[in-house]
Amino acid sequence: MKKVALTATALLLLFGVAQPQQKKAQPKKQEPKVTQEEVMKVLTSGLSTDPRFAWKVQQDEAQKVCSQYSGREAMPAQAVQKVIQLSQADIRYPQWGIFWGDWREGKKIVDNPRGGRFASYGFSDSPADRGGNCYACHLIEKGAPGGTMGPNLYQYGKKWNITKENMNSPEALERVKAVYNIVYNAWSAFPCSSMPRFGSNGAMSPEDVMNIVTFLLHPDSPVNK
Amino acid sequence: MKKKAVLALFTAGAVTGGLLSTKAFAQVEGELTPEQEMKLVQEFNRMLAEGINPGEVWYEVGKDAIKKYNLDKCDLGLGPGVFKGAAAQLPRYFADAGKVMDLETRVGWCLQKHAGMTQDQVLKLVRQCWGKTGNCVSEYDGIIMYLTMESNGHKINVNLKDPQVKRMYDIGRQAYYARIGPWDFNCATCHAGKQEVRIRATRLWSADRPGEAGNAVSIFPKYLVRWGLPMTMHYRYAECMRQMRWPEFIPHSDLAVALSAYLYGTANGTEIKAPGIGR
Repeated sequence: MKKVALTATALLLLFGVAQPQQKKAQPKKQEPKVTQEEVMKVLTSGLSTDPRFAWKVQQDEAQKVCSQYSGREAMPAQAVQKVIQLSQADIRYPQWGIFWGDWREGKKIVDNPRGGRFASYGFSDSPADRGGNCYACHLIEKGAPGGTMGPNLYQYGKKWNITKENMNSPEALERVKAVYNIVYNAWSAFPCSSMPRFGSNGAMSPEDVMNIVTFLLHPDSPVNK
Repeated sequence: MKKKAVLALFTAGAVTGGLLSTKAFAQVEGELTPEQEMKLVQEFNRMLAEGINPGEVWYEVGKDAIKKYNLDKCDLGLGPGVFKGAAAQLPRYFADAGKVMDLETRVGWCLQKHAGMTQDQVLKLVRQCWGKTGNCVSEYDGIIMYLTMESNGHKINVNLKDPQVKRMYDIGRQAYYARIGPWDFNCATCHAGKQEVRIRATRLWSADRPGEAGNAVSIFPKYLVRWGLPMTMHYRYAECMRQMRWPEFIPHSDLAVALSAYLYGTANGTEIKAPGIGR
């Protein structure tokens, strides 16, 4: 009994001492949290309202979700699910469906670093520039210098065992479609990935995407040599 | 003294003769031929080896411009005309303006207040050398260079205990993660995360790796060899946002202040060493 009382007193004492210290370190008064609206207000105040470019500031649903998390690891399952759903619904295919395109045309887009950058002072891309700047983040052809932000895509077709013999099999075309989905809207497979949703955002047409996928997977493409 | 003479000589050549303004460097943004790239790297390495930083020349330009624009009346938070160490404690809250301001925004405010300029005139001055390569010496770049170099050796000390500054810091941090634009980028796409990544050959610094934000911001304005001029922080923001396919950035905006509050706040404790030098 005595022991219990003693421990209780000791605990009380401890708490008595610890409490005010804690209060000091963490003031109870909660500072008002910054809302997403406030952030967007400040953000838009710092960007040009030129109607040619102002549309870029409008966030879509998926962007709004992704903006709330520092990375995919930090996202709750519900948010992951939502972004995947929104992104899958966004994917459009060429009107004749999945097919093998022209890898030479795909290579042009992959190699071209120009596209999408506009400013009233110097250094702008032309609106006709439709490059994907893929080498910024990926290593693709052997020996061509590239970035390491995205996965290494060298021999991407070989990795999926796509050969001249099996390239028109249902399994191979299924693979082509899966890669098409990633290039068209990367968030359908990797929610909130760093990779732009080239197709959904209109930076590339379904045919452009088809050609890029052909460049990555076709047995004749230099990527798979 | 000797260094200064070398520097003066060098810059006389660079600025008037066009050592750096050669047409070889006129093309930018990954469009250089391998020979141009090599020439640039050689030039950069030579400057590093000899300890030459042409950016220092803008200090003198700024000294004169501060007299010309009455900026000796400008209060950066330590009193009118007190510039030693002043840049190191920015951004901060300014009661006379009723808002938080970073160095460049405050200079813009002072230009309006003490030099009688309109906001448009100020922004025109700010962007005078944007998009130019070589032969462009702007008084604004000089003013920012002078004021920052007056804080060389001082440690960045943003007062995040001030709720107004903390609010801008929070907004800046969230803006850093806001994904907008047709390419879905945010600042964090390149400059966050524990893992080290490269964009082509460029190693990217990350706000999530200790000390890297400090190393990145403490050397601004940074002299860029390929453009032959110093890049101020707001010019850097503008260039990042252009790369991110965002609409054009407006200097001296609240967005700039929020980003500065976040970046300089994260960089607290880092010694200012302006100007830096880069390729």
